[in-house]
Amino acid sequence: MKSKIKYAVKVFAAGFIVIVLLSIPLFWLRLICQEILGENLPSEAKCINMQPCGLVPPEIENDPNVVYHSAVSVNMNTGALPFYGIINCFIAKPAFNNYFSEKNWSYFDKKLGLIVCAYAPRMNVDGKVTLAKAVTLYVGPDGISETKAQNLGRFVAPIVDTGNIHSASLVLTGYDRGLRCFFAVNLEKRVVTKGPQLSKDDFHKPIQIGRISGILRSEFNWSPPMTEVKDTNEKGDSARERKPVQSKPIINYTYSAGQYELVLDESGQIDLLDKETLVFAGKAGFLPAPQTLYDSKDSVTPKDLLDYDVLPLTLKTDNKYSGCFVKTVSREGTSMALAVFDEKGRMIKCDYTKTQSSSGKTIESSVAFFFFSPAAPVLTITRYLLENLQPPILSMASFVTADSFFAVAGHNALFILPNSFVAMSARRIDRTITAKLFLAMIYIILPSLVLSIWLTCKVARDAAMVGLSDKARFYWKIGTILFGLTAYITYRLTRPSITLVTCENCGKLRRPDMENCHRCGSKWHVPELTAPAWRVVD
Amino acid sequence: MLTLIKREIEDAIVLVLGAVIFTAIVITVWVSCVYRGMSVLNIGSWPTAAFIFTIICCVMGIWQMRTDRTKKISSFLLTLPVTRRRILIARIITGFLVILLVLVPITITALVLLQRFGPPIPLYKDFFLDIFVATFLMSFACYCIGLHNGWSSGKIASTLGSLLLTLIFLPLVIIKGISPQALVIVSLFIAALLIRTWQKFMTTSL
Repeated sequence: MKSKIKYAVKVFAAGFIVIVLLSIPLFWLRLICQEILGENLPSEAKCINMQPCGLVPPEIENDPNVVYHSAVSVNMNTGALPFYGIINCFIAKPAFNNYFSEKNWSYFDKKLGLIVCAYAPRMNVDGKVTLAKAVTLYVGPDGISETKAQNLGRFVAPIVDTGNIHSASLVLTGYDRGLRCFFAVNLEKRVVTKGPQLSKDDFHKPIQIGRISGILRSEFNWSPPMTEVKDTNEKGDSARERKPVQSKPIINYTYSAGQYELVLDESGQIDLLDKETLVFAGKAGFLPAPQTLYDSKDSVTPKDLLDYDVLPLTLKTDNKYSGCFVKTVSREGTSMALAVFDEKGRMIKCDYTKTQSSSGKTIESSVAFFFFSPAAPVLTITRYLLENLQPPILSMASFVTADSFFAVAGHNALFILPNSFVAMSARRIDRTITAKLFLAMIYIILPSLVLSIWLTCKVARDAAMVGLSDKARFYWKIGTILFGLTAYITYRLTRPSITLVTCENCGKLRRPDMENCHRCGSKWHVPELTAPAWRVVD
Repeated sequence: MLTLIKREIEDAIVLVLGAVIFTAIVITVWVSCVYRGMSVLNIGSWPTAAFIFTIICCVMGIWQMRTDRTKKISSFLLTLPVTRRRILIARIITGFLVILLVLVPITITALVLLQRFGPPIPLYKDFFLDIFVATFLMSFACYCIGLHNGWSSGKIASTLGSLLLTLIFLPLVIIKGISPQALVIVSLFIAALLIRTWQKFMTTSL
């Protein structure tokens, strides 16, 4: 019994070592395929341009003096580098997010339940604005103080607009997930204003306020309508000497939501929060779902997206919030969507990354990524085969948990692969669960299953030869079917390394450390040789 | 047990001294850089230093096992009232102590510098402690790879095999970062390697 436990422990230990050491090179190989596929994707399939953008009033956009219409463009980063765990550790750490300079930082002290915030007040000395000595303030839901006073109350799990801290804004807007209310902190006046508590049946679960963006914090390129500036000092008529047309914006604008703050909800909805009353003032938009290889769900949440970004716009013509641009990148990082929402949260425009095939047909970037860019079919098949070297049980786990993991975490997955083909097929909405499972088994993990069955046959044959018990052989067969290559390597590392001898009864190889031959069951005793009665004589 | 540990340290005195010198160099360079104006949060050279250290740890594991095998230390010790179990435990404790000998002073220096020159945000302290735990686990895992492969019969094969496995294993921290999931994987990996080493060392003829 003890030896059986020892053998089981030995097998599990070896199996774990093998699965870890096998998963890491497979990860790099898959990543190389992904990176080359991303690099080869045509540049037009990585960006979206909208002109006119749709947020500028028609009377301004169609002004006869306008030479360039308003435009918005966004680019998709197909590289996987920003999603490595080690980089995430630095980017996602609150300490690194909230420290901007020696005089400008903040953090949430869990023990105190207070937001600790340092800022340097601006002073006007002889007409010059200078920063005074930094002050450290302790902010609670009930007040603000320079000391850790008890009467400040306690925050439970606050989220604060870090963009405001970055820009040295004196008013911070936040939401406490425990207290379920918004709050505004005026650092200059040292006042904390609390909004009404959200009712229990309110579906809102805010996760970001103000600057709404994913991990990449990529930039939008927006340009207002431009008018031509005539150069009065221009000399010479030669076209070669002529300077390019200079232009200037016809309107002034700010990248803010004016009297509102944008609030991103866990459901993917973007709301407007009134800065004064700290209550929701309406809908600003939602995260549009990018097109994927298989038709997946129409509404997405921040968890489903590799990256997202929201750019609010306020035109100085009326100083009112005009609307916002919302960019989303699919979980796999193969496609992007850009939507424009007006001030009432209605979608005006929406576009997706796409490219043209050689025959002039429009292809979605998610399809072009895998099949239509140079060398894409070879790399896609290589990636498909590499995914099939994963244990079949983990492929099935990827199928079952396709939507459970954060999109960013999926890019550094080692064992369960949320971005694999099998997981992508699990996310499609145009099939029933049975059909999806059937298709996944037949088309996507078929090579993995075939490999597992072939390796199981090899293991079963070898296990019979080395004399493993029926029970052990049964477990090895099950293990190899479930874990495929990993189980096979583990078996090779842990199989009894005994030199076999020929059985005198059956003639097959048998183990010398067993009392009976494991093939025919005969004992070691050899019938005594009796000398024949005849002799050979000269 | 203490005698066995002392003997193990004496056997690996070159590596222990190397570890002390490595620690002194890292601390001196870091302190001088900080005093010359570099931010204490500038830990860009940490991955390089950690990489070198993990390779050293792997070599230490191989060294201990190879020395035992070639000089027949265990064969000799087993003539005394000592068991193989105690020999292996003493060896692992020695490796553990050498790794701590390097990482603890560096971490303490980092925390002192952070206290003195860093921003007054306590989250940085936690971050430095996370880095310490991650580096310790990765170093110990590489040391265990060395121990596991060092007991193999071929000298070149065991050395190259260990270094190859270390190079395969180290990027785990790049892929997964120093998240709790990654640390759980590394901890289980260490446990699996120790079990395999244990079984190998206990059952192989000396």
